[in-house]
Amino acid sequence: MAANPVKGVLIEELANSERMLRRYRQALAALPKGSLVAKKIKGRIYYYAAYRVGGKVRFEYQCKLSEDQVAKRKKAAGQKVKYRGLIADLKEQIAFIRRALHERKRRARRAVP
Amino acid sequence: MNEKDAPVELCLEVLRRLEDAGVLRGLVLIGSWCAYFYPDYFGGKTTLSALRTRDIDFLIPTPPKIKGEIRVAELLEDLGFIPDRQGEGFVRLSHPELIIDFLVAERGKGTDKPYAVKALGVKAQALRFVAFLAEDTVEVKSRGLSLILPHPVNFGLQKLIISGRRADKDKRAKDRLQAIEVLRIVIERGEGEEIRQKYRKLPAGWRKSIVVALKTTDADDLKAMLA
Repeated sequence: MAANPVKGVLIEELANSERMLRRYRQALAALPKGSLVAKKIKGRIYYYAAYRVGGKVRFEYQCKLSEDQVAKRKKAAGQKVKYRGLIADLKEQIAFIRRALHERKRRARRAVP
Repeated sequence: MNEKDAPVELCLEVLRRLEDAGVLRGLVLIGSWCAYFYPDYFGGKTTLSALRTRDIDFLIPTPPKIKGEIRVAELLEDLGFIPDRQGEGFVRLSHPELIIDFLVAERGKGTDKPYAVKALGVKAQALRFVAFLAEDTVEVKSRGLSLILPHPVNFGLQKLIISGRRADKDKRAKDRLQAIEVLRIVIERGEGEEIRQKYRKLPAGWRKSIVVALKTTDADDLKAMLA
């Protein structure tokens, strides 16, 4: 069969996307669980990590956090949103490339008399 | 060129950040993204195939000529890039739209280990044949950026040389397609003599690789020129 540069690019990109998806999932799992919520109780601020367990939201007290730690948690929250969006993009890419590669196979099969 | 193209937008943002950090001038942009910027070098009247992978490759001449120290991973973190350590030990920066690789030239056997570039805070991959790309470079002004690219002749000849080393026939075909496209524009501009001269100065083994690569193509003009 003749060489096909487009197919070569698609196969390489599929492998790249699948690898990247694994890496983003790992990066997401490594970020602190839940989102940081500040509660003012009797004039003092207490920090909690809020996350869902089944249908309920659970608040877990985070002990005392320094300003630096709070800034890091806020940054991590931004990263989480970003990574989730990128994971969704990657899933779309993977589905698209797989479809394109399978479509090529189907057409090639149909062309055979 | 479609500026709304997401990988292009991201690529330009990465280049802008590297330029603002003062390190872009110390890097040579190589690989298939060159085809996106060469039309600006050729005067904007030409178009090259948009067929490329997401990889954007930066060649770091050794020793690096980069002033100051930055951490590229941190510089691009908010764009969503994540460091992706490869089995061989070098690190690439990955994003669904773009994959950034830092490369250095492998010089001789046993020097294929990752090369730590302190100025960028990265471990670069050592590759054969890329030194030829940095031997002759051109400065391309594009979209407010000042980029260093390999001379189109070096780009084309190197692509032909490495194409023969590709195990995958489709990748081989892509390399040859890009090489021939760029070299034909050089000929159209009346600079074909430069291809001949650079070709003659190459080691015999490399010249043979080029001849073998061209044999499988319909580039009779190039075959005749280098015969």
